[in-house]
Amino acid sequence: MDPFATLGVERKFDVDLAKVEKTHRELSRTLHPDRFAGAGASERRMALSRAADVNEAWRAVRDPIRRAESLFSLAGIAVGDTNEPKPDPELLMDMLEQREALAEAKAGRDMKSVRALAAAMEARAKEAEAALAEGFQDGANDPRSLSALLPKLGELRYLRRFLDEVSAIEEELDV
Amino acid sequence: MALLEIFDPRAPPRPIGIDLGTTNSLVAYVSDGRPVAIADCDQEILLPSVVSYLENGEVLVGRGAEARALENPKETIVSVKRFMGRGANDPETRRLGPYAFVDAKEGEANVVRFRVRGRELTPVEVSADILRALKRLAEDELTNVGAAVITVPAYFDDAQRQATKDAGRLAGLDVLRLLNEPTAAALAYGLEKKQNGTFAVYDLGGGTFDITVLVLEDGVFQVKSTGGDSQLGGDDMDREIAHALFAESGITDEAAQRPELVRLALDTARKVKHALTEAGEVVTELLPGKDVTITRARFEGLIQPILDRTGVACRRALRDAKLKPEDLDGVILVGGSTRVPAVRAYVEGVFKNKPLADIDPDQVVALGAAIQADLLAGEGDHDEVLLLDVLPLSLGIEVGGGVVDKILPRNTTIPTGARATYTTQEDRQTGFVIHVVQGERELAADCRSLAHFTLKGIPPLAAGMAKLEVTFKVDADGLLAVHAKELTTGLEQTVSVKPSYGLDDAAVEQMLLEAIDHGESDLGKRRLAENRVEAGRIVAATRKALDVDRSLLEPGEREAIEAAIRATEEAARGEDPGRIHSAIEALDLSSKEFATRRMNRAIAKAVEGKNVDDVEHTMERS
Repeated sequence: MDPFATLGVERKFDVDLAKVEKTHRELSRTLHPDRFAGAGASERRMALSRAADVNEAWRAVRDPIRRAESLFSLAGIAVGDTNEPKPDPELLMDMLEQREALAEAKAGRDMKSVRALAAAMEARAKEAEAALAEGFQDGANDPRSLSALLPKLGELRYLRRFLDEVSAIEEELDV
Repeated sequence: MALLEIFDPRAPPRPIGIDLGTTNSLVAYVSDGRPVAIADCDQEILLPSVVSYLENGEVLVGRGAEARALENPKETIVSVKRFMGRGANDPETRRLGPYAFVDAKEGEANVVRFRVRGRELTPVEVSADILRALKRLAEDELTNVGAAVITVPAYFDDAQRQATKDAGRLAGLDVLRLLNEPTAAALAYGLEKKQNGTFAVYDLGGGTFDITVLVLEDGVFQVKSTGGDSQLGGDDMDREIAHALFAESGITDEAAQRPELVRLALDTARKVKHALTEAGEVVTELLPGKDVTITRARFEGLIQPILDRTGVACRRALRDAKLKPEDLDGVILVGGSTRVPAVRAYVEGVFKNKPLADIDPDQVVALGAAIQADLLAGEGDHDEVLLLDVLPLSLGIEVGGGVVDKILPRNTTIPTGARATYTTQEDRQTGFVIHVVQGERELAADCRSLAHFTLKGIPPLAAGMAKLEVTFKVDADGLLAVHAKELTTGLEQTVSVKPSYGLDDAAVEQMLLEAIDHGESDLGKRRLAENRVEAGRIVAATRKALDVDRSLLEPGEREAIEAAIRATEEAARGEDPGRIHSAIEALDLSSKEFATRRMNRAIAKAVEGKNVDDVEHTMERS
């Protein structure tokens, strides 16, 4: 499935999410099973399956990691743990240190430090997204240069996991 | 107008909305564009969700049943909703009432069973008895009751939703849709006040707590996040007070186990709670001559842990929606427990927003359900409102080491689908067990088990060679279907489904037959009536499509479809439900390609943003 085609948006990383959200809402308005409550069985099934596709596509496009995954897959580049290059040792070391700092802040129930660490990670995630946007723009028709972008996706995954950990801490300390 | 309705034998079926609550249930419908709750002959709108089974086989529902609860605790099922979709041997479940539980037998569906006067009853059957009572109430008012929308807590998992739908079917209702309670409440408020904005719905009922964050924009209600606790509510407040009453009355822990005493204490507690909404303190007695005084401050101290638990869920829902309390335009109160002044104050503190309570918090859900039923069943203008619901809990599959692989995260907009690929662990492995779970925890054992699927007949390949693609599909009611396919052979395998906590179709069918044995109704008659209604609905929809989209018809197509319409109408005049069903299927087939073309055009319009509605909305805003 090509989520970009399903939503009728241009296939690129740097999408206008507000605009796509609007299209998603229009498509939902058109296809939602509630619109077909009185229709025949096959029409109902068709609407349900297409409405599900539209929601699935929106989920793939709205999230930067899943959007990058879709773009790689559509370009014929396999993604996922075993297909992507091993992460840079420097990144691993760095993430290890950041995680230690986070664990320490958590142990001390120091929400201020947790938030500062999270803010730094969010800024890095923004940078990685910008790099992906540029890379996909430049290498749109060149699989080799696209492959070189894969580590950025890997980095984004690490940053995401860190931020998920922050959410879990926020929940645990309930702030 | 009401008189005309009563005496018109051909009155059109009126859609109804039902709030099937833990403590109380009620039914509503839309009259002259306004939702109205239906009262019984005593002018009572709330029907206590209590069912009492009498020795003579009679079934009492509501206040009459409630009155018998004290004397017949084992024969009177209170708050049956808490047992919906639960496992038979679940210790958590058994804690919930003084009933005679039946252990799950080998090979039987793993559902709660109450032994009542020699019969074994499941929560689905007890709920169906409540729904039947509501249906009768609606019939007294409306003559011809049409399709129904039934509400469920947003937090209900798949098994609980399925059980609710089964109960509706068993009660002879045409269930159009299961609707999340907070969404229904927002619908009631949204339509009447036409507000745009971001809202939180705080729903503290008798037995469940839900918190939902939703956005209203351009006539689309979108749930942003939902959370809560399906085991938290006003009943817990009663329990806290009851404990205090036991302690103050000098009743030992052992004596406090007696079912009759428990029921008496809970009833007294509820009265104390209600009185404290107005009064500063209440004097009551559990044992004759032993007065107990409960002040409002004491009560508020007792329920503080309950309020704090709701607060945790509220903050999580805000986080999930990526919102701060200041971003909210309003908070809607739902559920009788929100009448407690301490609850209102607490909600205001959490959300920094004075909560809305202009609509009766006990009725608001049913009123919203009635509006939704009217929109869904109505021929006319249902272009105005749309509810986009989300998945309340993550869905996943158990993989190596008992870890859950999340396939669909919570708060995903539904309907939706997802796929994941798995591989065999051993050489020549020809079978595969797929364990589907729902929940947020990392280990499958900590999540709720939904179903086990056994996939057989996989070609005997080396480990890791066979590739199984598992597809999840969640419909607009939040109900899940799972399919599995082996990719190397391309063969779709037959998957045997064993719901962990539900009844399969055969079991529900069996219950239907048993209900008839108990003098409920004639199955053939019911099928005939149902098929006639469906035929009418589809003929009307097809006619409308032929008219509106005639430019999309191919030569000869109109004639073929019209012939199928005539055949369906003729079958509907007959007495054979099977023939009506076949005619409907033929009509469906004859108009399938036309329907596909219509849908494609609608999609193209939506993508281009050239929807007429869209243009109008844009103009209004600019």
